[in-house]
Amino acid sequence: MEALLTAGGSDYSRGMVNTSHDDVADEETWIRRAQRADAQAFESLYRLHVDRVYGLCLRMTGNVSEAEDCTQEAFILAWNKLAKFRGDSAFSTWLHRISVNAVLGRIRKSKREHDRIQAVADTEGMRIATDDTGELRDLTDAVDRLPEGARHVFVLHAVYGYTHEEAAGMLGIAAGTSKAQMHRARKLLAQQLKEQGFEE
Amino acid sequence: MNFDDKLDQAARQLATEITPERDLWPGIEQAIRTPQRRTPWFAQAAAVVLLVGASSGTTYLAVKGDSGPVVSVAPELIFEKAAFGGDYHLGPDFQDARNSLRAQLDTELGRLSPEAQQDIQSNLDVIHAAIIEINTALEEDADNVLLQQKLLRAYREELALLQRVGGLTRNVMMRNDI
Repeated sequence: MEALLTAGGSDYSRGMVNTSHDDVADEETWIRRAQRADAQAFESLYRLHVDRVYGLCLRMTGNVSEAEDCTQEAFILAWNKLAKFRGDSAFSTWLHRISVNAVLGRIRKSKREHDRIQAVADTEGMRIATDDTGELRDLTDAVDRLPEGARHVFVLHAVYGYTHEEAAGMLGIAAGTSKAQMHRARKLLAQQLKEQGFEE
Repeated sequence: MNFDDKLDQAARQLATEITPERDLWPGIEQAIRTPQRRTPWFAQAAAVVLLVGASSGTTYLAVKGDSGPVVSVAPELIFEKAAFGGDYHLGPDFQDARNSLRAQLDTELGRLSPEAQQDIQSNLDVIHAAIIEINTALEEDADNVLLQQKLLRAYREELALLQRVGGLTRNVMMRNDI
């Protein structure tokens, strides 16, 4: 149980600390049952983690439909790989890595379609639905407008608290690249947000 | 506090847990209870259906014309299983709205720039390709809820795009009028 709370270094630090003792105990049971192909137990795991997985997918894609698809794919992938989960890291961390892979996989496979659709989507000024308000809403919108690489690093490092090494590992890039993308993200966000009165 | 510090602080306050607008479990459950196939159509269909727009409980579709009627399409009317094979067809209200919008598409497109026309046609091609691929997949796996949802979303996105074309041309006309 302790491993669930501490494994993975800073991984998932914004969430696991809020998980109650009972939830963790239940989670271990659900994992064991799901590994024996118990779909009901897996649904419990889904209910426990869906908001966090969907949040990550939404922040990374900036698109509700894609985030929904990525979330579903992530859980389907998790089900298929569950037998290989040994508890070396927290289940939530393991699930997060799968979610990032799902997002990156979809982006790679559908790059052309995404780009073409984006041309029209941009005319709508579509906003992703979060509970963020005020300056946080402005920040959400600004992050959504970041180039893909910078957005992914910013979301994983600045929003979800992963180290550059961890974020780089998830994204399949070098840690130095992650730092460079973060620098780029800061610069672009500064340009956008200062225009909107994001005060220093 | 400098800008970077303020940015870091604000980023840490962003919500990391966001509840989806709809329950995603039924599609997942259907997928995990269905034996895995080696056929590549599922991944292809999923990849193609990266469609714009947010899903909502009810889709309101404005039929063209400044004072034209507005068609409200309830979700339960949108999607009906056909009596044959694994194919699916659209509900009557949805079909009416779609036909009305399709019929006026060429006229609407004529009011836009060639670049905008090309963008829109490209998007429609992507959506149509997705519809065909998903329908093909459904022929093999008619009860796959995930595919059914993707097909439904593809149809909705097509309508949303057609409606969006109307919005774009209305803006063009307003500018011209001035």
